[in-house]
Amino acid sequence: MTKDAKGIQVSQLRELTQLKITRVFNEKWIHNLVSHPRPQRPGLGLTGYFKHIQAGRIQIFGKTEAGYLRSLKDEEKQRCLKNYFSLKLPGIIVSESIEPEPDWIAGAARYATPVLVSELHTVPLVSRLSAFLYQYFSKKIKLNGVLMDIMGQGVLITGASGIGKSETALELVNKGYQLIADDVAEFYIDSNDDLVGRANEIIKNLMEVRGLGIININDIFGASAVLEEKKLNLVINLEKWDPKKKYDRLGEDNLYFKILGLEVPLINLPVGPGRNLSTIIEVALRNFLAKKSGRMTYLEARSEALATEPPPAAPGREEE
Amino acid sequence: MIEKKQQIFNKLGLHARAAAKLSHMANMYSADIYLIYNEDKVNAKSLLGILTLAASVGNEITLQAAGVDEQEAIKAIGDLFDRKFDEEG
Repeated sequence: MTKDAKGIQVSQLRELTQLKITRVFNEKWIHNLVSHPRPQRPGLGLTGYFKHIQAGRIQIFGKTEAGYLRSLKDEEKQRCLKNYFSLKLPGIIVSESIEPEPDWIAGAARYATPVLVSELHTVPLVSRLSAFLYQYFSKKIKLNGVLMDIMGQGVLITGASGIGKSETALELVNKGYQLIADDVAEFYIDSNDDLVGRANEIIKNLMEVRGLGIININDIFGASAVLEEKKLNLVINLEKWDPKKKYDRLGEDNLYFKILGLEVPLINLPVGPGRNLSTIIEVALRNFLAKKSGRMTYLEARSEALATEPPPAAPGREEE
Repeated sequence: MIEKKQQIFNKLGLHARAAAKLSHMANMYSADIYLIYNEDKVNAKSLLGILTLAASVGNEITLQAAGVDEQEAIKAIGDLFDRKFDEEG
């Protein structure tokens, strides 16, 4: 897919199998650019209220729009179509295999607008289209690390080169968790404001393990060991054990990793002899999930207990 | 931190074998070394990272290094590019 800073061509949307586009009218203008991530349903736009119809947005015609146009008298309909299409829209997608009427197609053609027909109902069409467009238009960032799904959570394992990220990830894959991307993960913000990571197409399913070379996880462990993309929930940073550094001893640190304006919980894990990282990471995840579901940390539980329990009686002489 | 613009001369570009040589060389230095191409910045010590650039012959990339041995690192890596990764006679 060619990347264009100004937008994406309608022809590229037609190629998306998930949109189930079956027919195209006014194909001559299929290279029009969509420059906005949100699809738009014209709704009132057809009645002449154009204030919020934006030229760069792909338009979706559902039963409402089709029904409204059909209800109009011919003269009124022509005026309405002319006004609407004169906004120079990039393209129209008609949902639910509704047959576009000849005068819609002619009206669209006058202003160089292609008309596409999809089999999908309006709601899934809009949601699939916006999921795709959000990913396409989102600011992207590459992060160094291994992205995995561990216990349903997206975890990015980071750390300096040679610290053992891939080896730890391989152990986790061996335990049954899924790999999304090794070494470099690409992130974007989806329509729910979640940070979602995936692998670059070139290195998808691949992992580099020193001594073994580049291995294909999908070939070796099967399709259940890999995932296409995953929302990022936690960052685990591996670092060389530094005796001078203060590590979290009580489980009270709440650190965050900042990326694209969002904050993701962060755990710093020191790497040292005798520390089985994959097991520590598994336990870190269990602990993370417990905290997420509202369990108190040891320290919180302890201080709450101290606050409610009556203080123990001061040792007095009578005990002697 | 120092930077150097570097052209890719070998026919195959930064394919797997060249990327392996490059990351091997980068790992010999303690400096942080990055390759920048088309707004993408990857760690030169990461083989898979280099592959994601898909940089080919004739493209220009930027080498960036920061650390005590940054000068030596940039020189050695630049030479490797100039020698066409020892692939062609």
